[in-house]
Amino acid sequence: MTTPLESAEPAVQAAGPADDRPARRGTLRYAASKAGGALFSIAMVIVGTFFLFRMLPGDPVRNLAQGRNMTPAQLDLERRRLGLDKPLIDQFFDFVGKTLRLDLGTSYEYKRPVLDLIGERIGPTLLLAGTGLVIAVSLGIWQGTRAGWRHGTRFDRFSTGLSLVLWSVPTFWLGLLLMMVLGVGIGPIPGLFPFRGIESVDAPDGFAYVLDVASHMVLPCLTLVAVVYAQYLLVMRSSLLEEVGQDYVTVARAKGLRDDDVRRRHAVPNALLPTVTLVFMRIGFVVGGAVTVETIFTWPGLGQLFYEAVRVPDFTLMQGTFLLITVAVILMNTLADVVYHILDPRVRSA
Amino acid sequence: MRKWLARFVALGVAVLVAGQGTTAALAQDPAAGKKIFRVGATQSMDSMNPFLAVRLVSTSIHRWMYGYLTVPDPKTLAPSPDLAESWTTSEDGLTWTFKIRQAKWSDGQPVTAEDAAWTFNKMMTDEAAKTANGPAVENFETVTANGQDLVIKLKAPQASMLENPVPIMPKHAWESVTDMANYDAEKYPSVSSGPYIAVEHKKDQYVKLQANPNYWRGKPKIDELQVIFYDNPQAAVAGLKKGDIDLLGRMTPQEFEAIQNDPNIEAWNTQGRRAAYLQVNHGATTTDGKAVGDGHPALKDVKVRQAVHYAIDKQKLVDEVQNGLAKPADGSIVPPMYKDWFWEATGEEKVTYDPAKANQILDDAGYKKGSDGVRTMPDGKRKLEFRFTIHTDTPVEDKLAEYLTAFLKEVGITVTTVKLDSSKFTEETGTTGNFDIAISGWSVNPDPEEVLATHLCSRRPAPNGEGGGTESFFCDDTFEKLYQDQLKELDRPKRVELIKQMQERLYTQAPIIAIYYTNDLEGYRKDKVTSITPIPEDKGLLYGGSGYWPFYTVDVKAAAAAGASGESGSNTGLIAGIVGVVVILGLGAFFLTRRRKSTADERE
Repeated sequence: MTTPLESAEPAVQAAGPADDRPARRGTLRYAASKAGGALFSIAMVIVGTFFLFRMLPGDPVRNLAQGRNMTPAQLDLERRRLGLDKPLIDQFFDFVGKTLRLDLGTSYEYKRPVLDLIGERIGPTLLLAGTGLVIAVSLGIWQGTRAGWRHGTRFDRFSTGLSLVLWSVPTFWLGLLLMMVLGVGIGPIPGLFPFRGIESVDAPDGFAYVLDVASHMVLPCLTLVAVVYAQYLLVMRSSLLEEVGQDYVTVARAKGLRDDDVRRRHAVPNALLPTVTLVFMRIGFVVGGAVTVETIFTWPGLGQLFYEAVRVPDFTLMQGTFLLITVAVILMNTLADVVYHILDPRVRSA
Repeated sequence: MRKWLARFVALGVAVLVAGQGTTAALAQDPAAGKKIFRVGATQSMDSMNPFLAVRLVSTSIHRWMYGYLTVPDPKTLAPSPDLAESWTTSEDGLTWTFKIRQAKWSDGQPVTAEDAAWTFNKMMTDEAAKTANGPAVENFETVTANGQDLVIKLKAPQASMLENPVPIMPKHAWESVTDMANYDAEKYPSVSSGPYIAVEHKKDQYVKLQANPNYWRGKPKIDELQVIFYDNPQAAVAGLKKGDIDLLGRMTPQEFEAIQNDPNIEAWNTQGRRAAYLQVNHGATTTDGKAVGDGHPALKDVKVRQAVHYAIDKQKLVDEVQNGLAKPADGSIVPPMYKDWFWEATGEEKVTYDPAKANQILDDAGYKKGSDGVRTMPDGKRKLEFRFTIHTDTPVEDKLAEYLTAFLKEVGITVTTVKLDSSKFTEETGTTGNFDIAISGWSVNPDPEEVLATHLCSRRPAPNGEGGGTESFFCDDTFEKLYQDQLKELDRPKRVELIKQMQERLYTQAPIIAIYYTNDLEGYRKDKVTSITPIPEDKGLLYGGSGYWPFYTVDVKAAAAAGASGESGSNTGLIAGIVGVVVILGLGAFFLTRRRKSTADERE
């Protein structure tokens, strides 16, 4: 039996024991309410974005002129072109209407629709930040599990220490260091990896192209992983430590289960929850790319686009990328809530 | 644990060894045998459309792609023939006739006066087409073509006509463009008349240009010119050190020091095009004379401005802020590299570092020192406490502010630093006038008219507080008259004299105080570049220069069959790629083995 989303049954009943599928119904209901919340947040973000970007200092048209001598006629033309000559309220409804139709405006600088620019840049960002996330999460969970399970060992001390050091190192500095050592080469070490862009200027075709892109990914990916994996490690380690002390682990051990099984089948699944939330939160930010890393390595992703927009400054482009990143974070947080709800019965009953 | 590690390493080595074999086969380097010259840039192109592009990198690239009426002579920097092979002026200086040379566009069509006339008329009639070089045609009455003759009629005489900064565009390829404001010109290959044709542009990544076989001066020596964009300067310097790029310009003293001792790099340190100066708010006004802004009233007094000038130790700034890579300014805004135009103060007029004299001037003018050592206005109302406005995140300006604060403290003036982001900075120091002293600077073209024009009355903001393009809010009758006179003066030596007088006026009135002329700091790979001629040819500039001369004369070694060419298709790149893939595969394999293996052997 499934309940349509629209049914207006009281929440208490949904969670009550009378229903034969309380979990499923509860989840749908929960998801619906979360989705509603997300929609509301997105609406607020759209409104907020409009006013936020109009409160920023500087006249966008004069910024465009970049200190050049422009006649009042030229300034007026630019204003009209950007719709800045209309009353604020008209501009607002214009903006909301267009945003809902996924028209994020035209970039001042690139003279092209913002959505097109984002579309071009999202691929490289997903590739870099996505790969980085997968490696960081895998490495963090593995190392965290091991460190937590073998709490206090040399491995634990070493990995916790290392990850904390990397976590506190400024990304920019680490990126430059890797660039110097592994990119340019120091002393007898030759430069191994390229450190600019996603591909060589005279990029080869076919499989060689894949390798070319892969080689360009090594340094930015390494930088990204080095700085972010610590959080997964630490969260995984501490939540596993919590589980280790629990009675059920002792019981499982007392039953004579192999240590490996106790860890894998009992402790880790329970300890994984906070990490899952963290991963989802992070996916939201993946869309925003890693501004610093993309800037160091001239990676043609959204982070670089945003950096360029701020540098100009290109208000429509800033506004568009800002909206996209915020919406992605909201959606991913919502998804995390729902997944958490499915994974953990305790959240459901609460 | 150890076993899988051993396996993983073995796998890695195996793939690497196999990779060495395959890379040779894979690396069918498309660049092999070609002469490719790569230039690094830390600013990205704003537009490939010359009617819209304003950034330095864009205008440089357009100079390599399109012909102009004239081009700076590589020796003297004076205007010399480009697409216009000769020209005449009418007696009254109002009619100019340019004879367009018999040349071809890169698509084989002839270059005609019609192309030039179309270009100028487009700018005169289409507001959007004015974006980049609008002021250049402001004084044009009509532009017509008659065979190979281009006739430009002016509203008023204009001596700088020969420095016209407008690239001549091919009418046949561009006349179909209706919406100029939104035309990105990303059509390749471009139809060009300059030494190079653009063949590819990946935004914020690179621009590829090929030698134009139809170029009237003859095909350049290299096959391809590439401009490689970097988001951060450190990466660009690293790129030069590695050999990914062959030339990098516009370096800071710190970046320059990083390449100075590299055996493969020629560190190119010459006099630059740039003057750094302090902009002093001596009473900002709009074009109708209405006061704007909140500048300190004491700065309206020319004596105070001169005292500030005497209090600055320019040599110390050069040594300690610019690491010695600049020249202290004893002139105005035209740097000494322009030998013809450069004016230098001498004798009584020359302001040297002399805090005692600065104190004397202020004492005599009635600015008394209080018990705290800070001077007050003669009416006793306000203390001499100035703000110094700089940009955020510019370490050089931070340092400059520290020194300036110390210098002015010596003469009883307190300085506080205000940091603004660039848009706010432009607004407050160029339009609203909310500053006391601000940092400024300008890269000067071979003809300094434009940079001098930024100090004209008409460049102040309009009565509604908008527009303009002033550098100092200066409005001075003597300066205005000199400007008008030089416009009409077609005799070059006489005009030079007038322009020097304008600089002198700026120096003595001190609405701006020039502090130093920064050197032009560049570097190129001496293991790759076999010859390159700077502009001017006598130890001039490379990337930072005006015109295309260094890029037309450059010659490089051809790329070797495989591997030797910097970034592209090199073995290192491929090996690195393989290592990357191996690491990822290895991690995956590792997790798989972890799942299957019992941990019994790991029990403590």
